[in-house]
Amino acid sequence: MLRRIKIDWADLPQIQPLETPFAKPERILPGLEEIDPGRFPDFLDEIGHVGMGGSGFQTSEKIRNCMGAHTLVINGIECEPGITIDQSVLMYESRWVQAGTKACAQAVGAQKIVIAAKDKGDQISQLKELYPDYEVVPFPDRYPAGAEKLILKKLTGTLPPPGTRPYQLGFLVQNAVSLRAIGRAIVDGIPVVERPLSLAMPSTDFYKNIIAPVGRPIRDVLAAYTLPYDARIHLIADSGLMMGHEVGLDDRIDKTTLSLVILERVPAERKERPCIRCGACNTACPLGLHPYTLVERIQKGKTTGAAFQAQMTECFLCGVCSAVCPSDIPLVQTLQEGKTCL
Amino acid sequence: MSVANPFQRIGARSSGMAAWALLALMVPSTIYSLLYRSPFALHLLGYALLGMLTEAAYTWVLKRKMRLSNMGSGLTAALLAASVPTSMPFLPMLFAILIAVGLVKLPLAGAPLRLNAAMAGRLFLMLVYPSHIVNWGTPTADVISTATPQELYRSESFALEWPQLLFGRIEGTWEGLFLLVPGSPGETFPVLLLLLGMLLCWKGIMAWRTPLAFLLSFGIATALFGNSPLFDLCSAATIFSAVFIVSDPVSTPMSKGGKIACGIIIGVSNALIRNVTYYTEAIVYAVLIGNLCAPLLDRIAFEWQGRRLAKRMDSRAGVDGASSSV
Repeated sequence: MLRRIKIDWADLPQIQPLETPFAKPERILPGLEEIDPGRFPDFLDEIGHVGMGGSGFQTSEKIRNCMGAHTLVINGIECEPGITIDQSVLMYESRWVQAGTKACAQAVGAQKIVIAAKDKGDQISQLKELYPDYEVVPFPDRYPAGAEKLILKKLTGTLPPPGTRPYQLGFLVQNAVSLRAIGRAIVDGIPVVERPLSLAMPSTDFYKNIIAPVGRPIRDVLAAYTLPYDARIHLIADSGLMMGHEVGLDDRIDKTTLSLVILERVPAERKERPCIRCGACNTACPLGLHPYTLVERIQKGKTTGAAFQAQMTECFLCGVCSAVCPSDIPLVQTLQEGKTCL
Repeated sequence: MSVANPFQRIGARSSGMAAWALLALMVPSTIYSLLYRSPFALHLLGYALLGMLTEAAYTWVLKRKMRLSNMGSGLTAALLAASVPTSMPFLPMLFAILIAVGLVKLPLAGAPLRLNAAMAGRLFLMLVYPSHIVNWGTPTADVISTATPQELYRSESFALEWPQLLFGRIEGTWEGLFLLVPGSPGETFPVLLLLLGMLLCWKGIMAWRTPLAFLLSFGIATALFGNSPLFDLCSAATIFSAVFIVSDPVSTPMSKGGKIACGIIIGVSNALIRNVTYYTEAIVYAVLIGNLCAPLLDRIAFEWQGRRLAKRMDSRAGVDGASSSV
């Protein structure tokens, strides 16, 4: 079941435009005039392009597999609560998104281009104006509506079988930020050296979407806005509140950093209590799996059953089960271990 | 204390759940005590405290880490006290609480099969002190809890109308004898209990599937037997059981389908026992039957979900022969 997760500090009336506090990168490549499907994956390798929606998967391999796809889906949903980076890129960087989209569509031979966007406020109507040639499909403002599997479920009507990749169904799903990066390389000749991300510090009402250089220490990003970060009381959550991880000041901006959210440490700490067998995890799972049963089996080592294998393959580690657990049991961490039992 | 994703939590936390449920239980009891000038609410709190002391003694004897709040056992003891007549003396209640908390609730805490502790305590009282629990005393102005409407219906052929039961007042010739609708004090005010149940669901403390399946299947099964479902729904602690006993997360299944199946089992068993046997308080047996089926229902739900997914995996692999990569 998809859940609406309300984050008050991220519920801004307007999507923030992107700011560039750091020096702009310089042109390195000559840019691309014509798209040659045979050489396009090599071009992507040359600019160092990976999946920028969080996966970090090598895009050239994805494009090679997707040759012959019939639909290109631009994933601009950004269902992670508290982040608005995909929406911001779609709205304010449409020139590069369109360039990247056209290139990818030409490379794989896709006839139809669909923008998957979050149905919130008047975003859908604004996107329809910005991209008149593409079909804009609204998705509910719930988590995890932007998961690849669930997007395909909405577009094809049925949930794809466990372990299926979109190319097996004829779809190429690309994140909006990834397409912007491709567009930057084609139009401006800049490789993947910059990363749009959401920077937020709820305790001081700070919220901005910025473009930061890849490889910069996070310390520099915080210093650019003089955010009062204190390592004892704050923690930096990289790449979202649900699927992200904690980083320190000396860690660097990756190509897959979706956001940097500075939270207070104490409310985020969890003390694991015994399971009360309420079943909130099963009710909350968007795919209807049984997280606690899976976790019990992983802990006991009974991982060879067909039911366990099928459910574990299907799980995409969205983290809703951990978020709703009343006893604060770290389910998603154990499920991550369980993926190695496949 | 560790910090890991997700950093955002949703819904109720387990540390407050039993306290909220106890608070919800106190609302109708307090209203009852104020209206009829009885010390029932204080008795309830006293027995709840006794339950908490039992858990404290248990953890101390077993040399485990003592906790400050033993609300779960307090709730069990309070539910037990709310489902027996006020004429029950202290010693049977003491034994019942010791058994419910110390023999059923705490030792079965991590076990593969768990039973509802309040119902186990009540079963003990029904078996060992049957006179105190069934024969509810001669109705005089002093005794404020008497035979349940079920008992009245069978023995005296006096049928109360269900709207009177729902709102807790009797009009007519019997009003002078009874101060309120007969029954155990914890089971009065079904409307209030329903509203409290909905409030608990909305706050995320109570799961709604098992109680709803229980009430619906019980109503349908009673109607199939030819009796008015509304009368049975509003009498003899059905709503009380739905909100407090059947919704217990520990002893009922975890999965969505399992919850509904368990609710149906409890509802149908309750209707069967009430209509086929002479027992009027059938809920104890019905809930325990449901608890016995709970682990199997969970296992079935897990296997079915897994097999359904595995079948789609195989059909897809058969179509294009591609191997799945993680």
